[in-house]
Amino acid sequence: MTEALGFDDVTFTYPDGARPALDDVEVSLAEGSFALVVGPTGSGKSTLLRAANGLVPQFTGGTFHGRVSVGGRDTLAHPPRRLADLVAFVPQDPGATFVLDRVEDELAYGMENLGVDPSHMRRRVEETLDLLDLETLRGRSVRTLSGGERQRVAIAAALAAGPSILVLDEPTSQLDPQGAEDVLAALQRLVHDHGMTVLLAEHRLERVAGWVDDAIGVDGGRVAQGPPADVLRKLGAGPPVARIGAIVGWDPVPLTVREARRFAATVRLPTPSPPARNGRGPVLASVRDLVATYGASEALRGLDLDLHEGEVVAVMGRNGAGKSTLLRVLAGVHEPSRGRVLVRREAPRPGADAALCPQEADDLLFHETVEREVRATLVARGETGDPGRWLDALGVAGLAARHPRDLSAGQRLLVAVASVAATDAPLLLLDEPTRGLDPPSKDRLVAFLRASADDGNTVVLATHDVELAAAAATRVVMLAGGEAIADGDPATVLGDSRVFAPQMTRVFGPGWLTTEQVAEALP
Amino acid sequence: MTPRPIHPGAWIAWATCAGAVAFVTTDPVYLFLLWAVSWFVYTNHRSDTDTARSFRIFLTGAVVAVVLRTALVFFGTISVANTAFSFLEGLRLATILVIFGTFNAVTDPFGLVRIAPRHFHEPALAAALALSIAPRTVASVGRVREAQRLRGLTVRGARSLPALAVPVLERGMDEAHTLAESMDARGHGRGRRSRYRPQPWTAASTAIAAAAAVAAATFLSASAGGWAVLHPQTAPLVWPAADPALIVATALLAVPGLIRSRRP
Repeated sequence: MTEALGFDDVTFTYPDGARPALDDVEVSLAEGSFALVVGPTGSGKSTLLRAANGLVPQFTGGTFHGRVSVGGRDTLAHPPRRLADLVAFVPQDPGATFVLDRVEDELAYGMENLGVDPSHMRRRVEETLDLLDLETLRGRSVRTLSGGERQRVAIAAALAAGPSILVLDEPTSQLDPQGAEDVLAALQRLVHDHGMTVLLAEHRLERVAGWVDDAIGVDGGRVAQGPPADVLRKLGAGPPVARIGAIVGWDPVPLTVREARRFAATVRLPTPSPPARNGRGPVLASVRDLVATYGASEALRGLDLDLHEGEVVAVMGRNGAGKSTLLRVLAGVHEPSRGRVLVRREAPRPGADAALCPQEADDLLFHETVEREVRATLVARGETGDPGRWLDALGVAGLAARHPRDLSAGQRLLVAVASVAATDAPLLLLDEPTRGLDPPSKDRLVAFLRASADDGNTVVLATHDVELAAAAATRVVMLAGGEAIADGDPATVLGDSRVFAPQMTRVFGPGWLTTEQVAEALP
Repeated sequence: MTPRPIHPGAWIAWATCAGAVAFVTTDPVYLFLLWAVSWFVYTNHRSDTDTARSFRIFLTGAVVAVVLRTALVFFGTISVANTAFSFLEGLRLATILVIFGTFNAVTDPFGLVRIAPRHFHEPALAAALALSIAPRTVASVGRVREAQRLRGLTVRGARSLPALAVPVLERGMDEAHTLAESMDARGHGRGRRSRYRPQPWTAASTAIAAAAAVAAATFLSASAGGWAVLHPQTAPLVWPAADPALIVATALLAVPGLIRSRRP
């Protein structure tokens, strides 16, 4: 089979890098492969992806040895624009890639540059709008889209140019479970029916492991390519079904719910006992008859909610369901148009009663070191306390002297959470705290949130990540159309859903949420 | 889909003609009429982009211009006549600002890029991207300020400036870098270009451009021919003139407001 993308002995060091970001890399992707790039946060995944169309080293500088060839073209001899007809790239922050204003024009931009014939271009735009279900957004300004919508438009804009290789960096980080499923299904169709080659980096293995047929493991700049099951096993990573498979000793280790269910039939589990989680304390915050608008639309319509001390509440729902608006109202920075929000029977004081870690965690970071970043929060509330406590709690103590900008997206997120948590506000709010987080970092975040609730705080997280909700939450509130359509313990609310059920529920039935819970119950 | 009945070229014609009208008169009747016309056009066509929000900034600027120009009187002889004269001069400048603000709010700079001749595509795109930086930075400042407030940092005064400026600037740099990469990776500068859905020149566009041209021509002929008073007498102060022909001409500039492009 023809090679679509090849890395030949590639070693690359950033201009100010102490050691190579890519170290002696050998990769060969056959035409029509659907390949996953996987590895811990900060391991060099983004560098590998950006080298695929020559952005590394052409835009970064640095020392580059070896050869990357795309469809037979050498990336050193051809600048990225000369590869634009072959390879398209969707970076981690999709909002920053938009050149034009209207969704439809944005889709056409790449084709205009390639000089595609106008009638052909028109047809391709329509097809792409349909493929990613963007027809209703075609006339919108890209600056007014939600995070999930922006992500889908960025993928569509890359696809519309008709590349034979598509490279994506965490393409589902802001998508709800159904939206992610739809995007991956669309990609697979292009792989199967049109021989497109897809290379994508993703931390949420439960979403992608079932779709890919090839994997590239990256760790500290070293790379190993192979079948997904082998690569994941070597990295000690995998979706929840693989984790449980490794514990039980299933062989081969399953990567999908379907594979795991075959083994699960042979396992006898007792009736699930609810996981031991902290109980409810008194009411900390109450929301009554809340109506709030976002832009021109009503984001929340008559919501009632009581949040108790000691709870970790996961607010879930599709893109645009009103999750972020609810968080901002709880934090006291978004004025509701009707109803009221009380924290300890008073209007919430932002930053004191309620602290919020925003979706764009980079909006917070401004100090030269991680340690000073957290100290800034302590100083602001007149404390001289030790930032180390917060850094330890989130497992970033080892990064205390580093500059936040030199960290990976996932590490920066943990630093932002530490800076927000250091307010010691009784109501801790987090908006989609998952971008760039690898599974170990996510485990640390979960442990921190649970410990924070055990100390009597209330944690509310808006998230699309069902595995995070299953692991961290004591309660799940499902929003749709600005109303709470389900509210209860995770086992009931998630177990009852086709879209939001975590993998353990899908394999072992309602009541089973996490691999730890299943592992303990195993005979 | 948003209807796009009006060609950016028609908007350029409208803004140029309305600006010319404001330029040749200091009669408050016509000038205030131009404010009303601009407001009418703005409310029916403002786009949902960030630039629309900057209309308020132009409006504030206009009011400040009137106040400052009038206040200049206090550096000279203070009299009713001088104050009225200064006020009318300020009002003229303010009206031009309001017209430009309207133009800015109803057109999308990238829409203007689309109609730029092929050879001007690159500079036009660069200009549009530069224009989009200001509203994006305003949005970014708002977001960062809120984010810092939610971790207990009040961004006020010079000492807390880094908490606001550093994230805004660093994000701005990151975004600019990502955009440059993205444009290159998407084939920008390959030298060959085709055009997606060229914007049609519609009957509505003709109506707007023609009406605006008539309005400007009427005022210019009055200015050149002197058949109507365009600068009301201020010493002694008299009630400003209101020539029916010129009122009709000003009203012609409201034609775009009759053609709605904004979603209800």
